[in-house]
Amino acid sequence: MSPKRLVWLVGGVLGILALFALRAATAEADVSLPNQLQDLLTLAISVIVESMPFVILGIVLSIVVQEWVPDSWIMRVLPRNPFLRRAAISFLGVFLPVCECGNVPLARGLIVKGFTVSESMTFLVAAPIINPITIATTHAAFGWDSGILVARVIGGFAIANLIGWLYSRHHDQDSLLTERFAAECRVPQHHEHGGARLQKSLELFVREAGVIMPALFIGSLVAGAIQVLVPRDVLVSLGSNPLWSVLAMIVLAFVISVCSNVDAFFILPFASTFLPGSIVTFLLFGPIIDIKMLALLRTTFTTRVLVQLTLVVGLSSALIGLVVNFVF
Amino acid sequence: MGVVLAVVVSVVTLWLGMTGQLVLYIHPRYVVFTMVMAALALLIALAAIATRASHDHDEPPRRRWISTIGLALAGLVAAVLLLVPPATLTSSTAIQRDISNSGVGIGSQTVDAAPSASLHFSVLDWASLLNQTNDPAFYRDRSADVTGFVTAAPDDPDVFYVSRFVITCCAVDAQPVGVPVYSPGWQDSFDPDDWVRVTGDFTSNPSPVSTAPIALTPDAVTAMEEPDDPYLF
Repeated sequence: MSPKRLVWLVGGVLGILALFALRAATAEADVSLPNQLQDLLTLAISVIVESMPFVILGIVLSIVVQEWVPDSWIMRVLPRNPFLRRAAISFLGVFLPVCECGNVPLARGLIVKGFTVSESMTFLVAAPIINPITIATTHAAFGWDSGILVARVIGGFAIANLIGWLYSRHHDQDSLLTERFAAECRVPQHHEHGGARLQKSLELFVREAGVIMPALFIGSLVAGAIQVLVPRDVLVSLGSNPLWSVLAMIVLAFVISVCSNVDAFFILPFASTFLPGSIVTFLLFGPIIDIKMLALLRTTFTTRVLVQLTLVVGLSSALIGLVVNFVF
Repeated sequence: MGVVLAVVVSVVTLWLGMTGQLVLYIHPRYVVFTMVMAALALLIALAAIATRASHDHDEPPRRRWISTIGLALAGLVAAVLLLVPPATLTSSTAIQRDISNSGVGIGSQTVDAAPSASLHFSVLDWASLLNQTNDPAFYRDRSADVTGFVTAAPDDPDVFYVSRFVITCCAVDAQPVGVPVYSPGWQDSFDPDDWVRVTGDFTSNPSPVSTAPIALTPDAVTAMEEPDDPYLF
């Protein structure tokens, strides 16, 4: 290791130790904040701490896909027919089990790798729902009998392919992306080897962390603020009406911003007040759209796309929820 | 900036984990996974710092003021993470999330529970029993010994709830549960959010205005320190 690198490494270690010391020193500080502000901060930190491991995992997997997996692998195994291709992409989450916040860097990596924008959207919508961890936690919370798990998996697949089909009809896929990200995609990708490839991976980590972490922090802060300001009982009192409970669940999912890997446990205590279809709506809408996700997605897609995405996902998950409510 | 934020959140996560306070924010079942990923993030960040990895491709200019506000907000959250002492949720969230009417949690007691065990019942156990039956006869011979923080009852100044939050995933889903305690003048001895231990028996609620039909009539209410594991799981 060159002396220069050693200096930076030692500097980095010292900096991290200084942060530990600072955190330990202020642990007992007598900060008395008003209750609501204190709770806002506690909730925001809770969202950050809960999402952070998945975000890191997502960034790492994204780097692996971009730098370490040969281009031909993924492209070769996927079918050519666009419908079959998107259907196959819907199941990629089985091998890349990150929740939705980790999926954003991963989807960015897939676009860089050669996915079309509509294909990456299919992945973004399907992967948080159709993956082993989410299916296991949903099963742990609701079991097979209630039908909630089946409706969630089938509904997630249907919405993901609907979104992918809709956007595949757009003639200018690049215009769906933010200028900044579209420019990054145009930088030619070439594979490095050995040390250079490691260096490139670290650069990608810096880039993705630079984009994703601020969005995560801001999204969590807003999510915490809204939870403190909107009384929960307003939503719960709507729970027993087949129509209103579906809409209430969409609002709740939007505000709560928990990851799809754990949201089934979140909604379980509400299962006695809300109809099953409304629970399904929550479990379909929440993984794709919420405050934190919009902040994260805005790093990659234009505002216009996000509004359309929110509308389509909202309408389709509400429709599926209503069908479950009225038919079953 | 992103690496700095990643380092801050990883350092704080590891410190919370080492001091046993990570459970203030997430369910214990995620603690190990979260700490492993935080350690991994620190290692990668260190490698990036040592090799001075940076990303300086030509990037189109962004709307300057939006990114400045965004980065300032993110920096503010990072400062809070580093400087503000960790805390549990307070009684204001318990009231906002409707403590007097919360659902029955998982794994709590049912009405055929043995009377002899009642002294070990938690606030969650009692709250779920109170949701199931209002028959005073059921509560006869079942004494309570519970700990929790004080939440003022919204409908009657003579009643407070001895309360806990139940967590299924993280503090975001904290569901307040509480047992009503009929104790006129409790405000003279305790403030909301104070931690207390209450012993006593359940009777029909003497309060004419409270919506709770059954309440705990305390033999003793004693102040205590906040426990290390303030949430129930």
